[in-house]
Amino acid sequence: MEIQELTKISPLRVFEESIGGGLGRGNLGVLVSRHGVGKTACLVHLATDKLFRGQHVIHVSFSGNVEHVINWYKDVFQEVSDKRHLDKSENVYDEILSNRVVMNFSQDMVSIDKVLSSLETLINAGSFKADAILFDGYKLTTANIEDVQKIKDFAAKLNVEVWFSVSPVREDVKYDEYGVPETVTPYLKVVDVLVGLKMNKEGDKVRMTLVKEHDKIADKPLEVCLDPKTMLISR
Amino acid sequence: MSNLNNMRNIGISAHIDSGKTTLTERILYYCKKIHAIHEVRGKDGVGATMDSMELEKERGITIASAATNVTWKDHEINIIDTPGHVDFTIEVERSLRVLDGAILVLCSVGGVQSQSITVDRQMKRYNVPRIAFINKCDRTGANPYRVKDQLIEKLGLNAVMMQVPIGLEDKLEGVIDLVEMQAIYFDAGEDGLQPRYAEIPAELVDEANEKREELLDAISLVDDDLMEAMLEENVTVDLINSAVRKATIGLKLCPVYLGSAYKNKGIPALMDAVNAFLPDPTEVENKALDLDNDEQEIVLPSDETLKPVVLAFKLEDGQYGQLTYIRVYQGKIRKGDELYNTRSRKKFKIGRLIRMHSNEMEDLQECGCGEIAALFGVDCASGDTFCHPDLNYSMTSMFVPTPVISLSIEPVDKKAADNMAKALNRFTKEDPTFRTYVDPESNQTIIQGMGELHLEVYVERMKREYKAEVVIGKPEVAYREAISQRAEFNYTHKKQTGGSGQYARVAGYIEPIAASAEGEDQKDYEFIDQIKGGAIPTEYIPSCDKGFQLAMKKGTQIGFPVVNISACVNDGAWHPVDSSDMAFQTAALAAFREAYERAKPVILEPIMKVEVTGPTEFQGNIFGSINQRRGMIVSSSEEGVSCIVEAEVPLSEMFGYSTVLRSLTQGKAEFTMEIAKYGRVPQSVATELKEKYAKKRAEENK
Repeated sequence: MEIQELTKISPLRVFEESIGGGLGRGNLGVLVSRHGVGKTACLVHLATDKLFRGQHVIHVSFSGNVEHVINWYKDVFQEVSDKRHLDKSENVYDEILSNRVVMNFSQDMVSIDKVLSSLETLINAGSFKADAILFDGYKLTTANIEDVQKIKDFAAKLNVEVWFSVSPVREDVKYDEYGVPETVTPYLKVVDVLVGLKMNKEGDKVRMTLVKEHDKIADKPLEVCLDPKTMLISR
Repeated sequence: MSNLNNMRNIGISAHIDSGKTTLTERILYYCKKIHAIHEVRGKDGVGATMDSMELEKERGITIASAATNVTWKDHEINIIDTPGHVDFTIEVERSLRVLDGAILVLCSVGGVQSQSITVDRQMKRYNVPRIAFINKCDRTGANPYRVKDQLIEKLGLNAVMMQVPIGLEDKLEGVIDLVEMQAIYFDAGEDGLQPRYAEIPAELVDEANEKREELLDAISLVDDDLMEAMLEENVTVDLINSAVRKATIGLKLCPVYLGSAYKNKGIPALMDAVNAFLPDPTEVENKALDLDNDEQEIVLPSDETLKPVVLAFKLEDGQYGQLTYIRVYQGKIRKGDELYNTRSRKKFKIGRLIRMHSNEMEDLQECGCGEIAALFGVDCASGDTFCHPDLNYSMTSMFVPTPVISLSIEPVDKKAADNMAKALNRFTKEDPTFRTYVDPESNQTIIQGMGELHLEVYVERMKREYKAEVVIGKPEVAYREAISQRAEFNYTHKKQTGGSGQYARVAGYIEPIAASAEGEDQKDYEFIDQIKGGAIPTEYIPSCDKGFQLAMKKGTQIGFPVVNISACVNDGAWHPVDSSDMAFQTAALAAFREAYERAKPVILEPIMKVEVTGPTEFQGNIFGSINQRRGMIVSSSEEGVSCIVEAEVPLSEMFGYSTVLRSLTQGKAEFTMEIAKYGRVPQSVATELKEKYAKKRAEENK
């Protein structure tokens, strides 16, 4: 299968449609759930889809291990290309890799201002024309509202899409029926798209619920969910 | 040496500037092999004892690995100090082959750096058990716990802290031994550097207890006896030690020690660990191949009564003549014994047998199992196996990487030319990654090696040791050519010029060999014979194979070797009189060239994995410099004030990078690189290369 066709029939198109045609540049999207539901895979799938469409992506991780992130990309790529029998998959992989940069910070030691300035340095001095930035494992709940506002301003200034994956740090957080923790509420006004992930009762699917979509507060289930085996977005 | 249990063959390897040589120097001192400490870059100008080459002392780096042996608490320890720079990686590989265990030195600030990863990969390849030593704990920003976590995360080692530091950075006083549960300070004895054992300071008791729990948990996961003892609550020091030893040798555990070689802290404890946890020669299984019996694997027991098997792992042509470093794997050799070189199939007598201590030596009468020694005046290549004339064994060959960079050299006068020839002859024997040949087209002498520094060092040594002044050309990258699709051929070679003519027809196809699974070496060439019904007689089939291989030596695009090709012949024709070996070779060569053009040939270049470390304020400059070099930034990590940028950059763009980087960052950033893969050259660069090649050929044909 050719790469154009692959992206056309990707379940990501359904996902985009249901969030009003995509997140859009200058906007902030958030994936939220408990630990271990599959946010990172989901985020990497979002990024891989963008890479397939020739876009440039910066993956910001706070985990301390770049190797892990790179392996995630490798696995997700493998999964997608095997499933669809992608032509010349090795060449495609090499090509898209040059459009991805992983940046790793330790959140405790590096302030958000520094993170953003490093991103800007990469985009300007490194001539890396990023189309989207993904923050994986950012502890939104320990960051304050100003930090998030700064990220949003940054997204607008550089005209990029910004996705987050968020897990609550504290143990005693209450989750609502969509898997959204109450601690996220204060940030709702700066977030453009909020998607909650939750394992269904049978444990065979991770349900995705659109909690907020641009200016609308919605709570409709998405037509896509996460395949619990691969943790990829699927129908 | 009768008691092999008290013998250790160990290596010390690590990232550049982690302090390997300094550590070795301290070990020599503590083992009373030397009586004064000279710093690597010391003001006294003596230089470290192990860096005996003038060039090494000048640059403060280790180039050739030196071997030495020391005694620590009744244990005889052979130590090989290895270079840290990746350009000299063959030295590391060679020493690992003959070692039974290793100390992996890490910097407490820098942590697991790119070269540590390379070294670790090499150790895994040869199954070398290792203990880690986190050095430079006196430096600002020292964080041994982070380094231990990196050992687990980045290297996948089951690393456990055997000690906790008493104070860090400039307050580093000593360490707490978590097995014996005691504090060790290094301020006793006449020189004030010997260990003093004391009670654990009150403020650290809780921490020590907690870390000891962690240690025991980690060990018990890999040792059932200890697990049982823990449940029964009768854990003894002996039990812990034997569990750690077993797990370390079984590559299931990597004990971590701390200290500062420069400040003389932690060395005796580390040496105790070498004795306690690294294997003796009998505990490591070594294998040889029996050449008389279809290369069947044979285990070599470390038994002195058996017939000897010896490996020559390194040659050195020093001031005393040719020296061959050997390790005895089985049996025992004596002066005057006869040995058989299984590669050259020649017998020789052992003349002088010596033991080297850096550049001083000591005569030996005999050399037993597991020992490392050196022979004089033996004609051999590195990697040769010597054994008793009754045996015909070969130790498995060592992995030798192919050179990636070449440089033309031209002697300034006749005398220099003679000396240069002598020097090249010696260097190529010593170092299999250093190669030389004369380019038949330009008539220039070309040297090939693993990197700029590698070649630079040899040019410098030629000048100093052989008085061979040479003019060097611009370094050139070892490109390769390959095809990107399948193409058929059907070629008839016919010539009729009086006498018997030449006739051969070959038909078939060439296609790229698909990338193999990760970690496996890809085959460069494959020949498939699908001839049916004698279209080409069997005797001429090898001729086709030869013809293809000849064609692959030099691609038609830019004259570099062609790789990754599977060539298949499935049809052909012959003539009872006019067909010959030569005719089929020529036909195959021409057929290949013809199909090659249609197989969409591409040019490949070595792509380096580059790691730049520097202060974050220069991040922009670092990104910029990589970007200008057709580089691809893979990742960037920041921690506090320093950042590590990892990128993939074509080697051809990396020439002179160290100077550029220095000026861009006020000398505060450093970089390392190693080959990552061969990648396609972009169209624009390929066109440029092709034009250059066409021009060069046109000039030569004038």
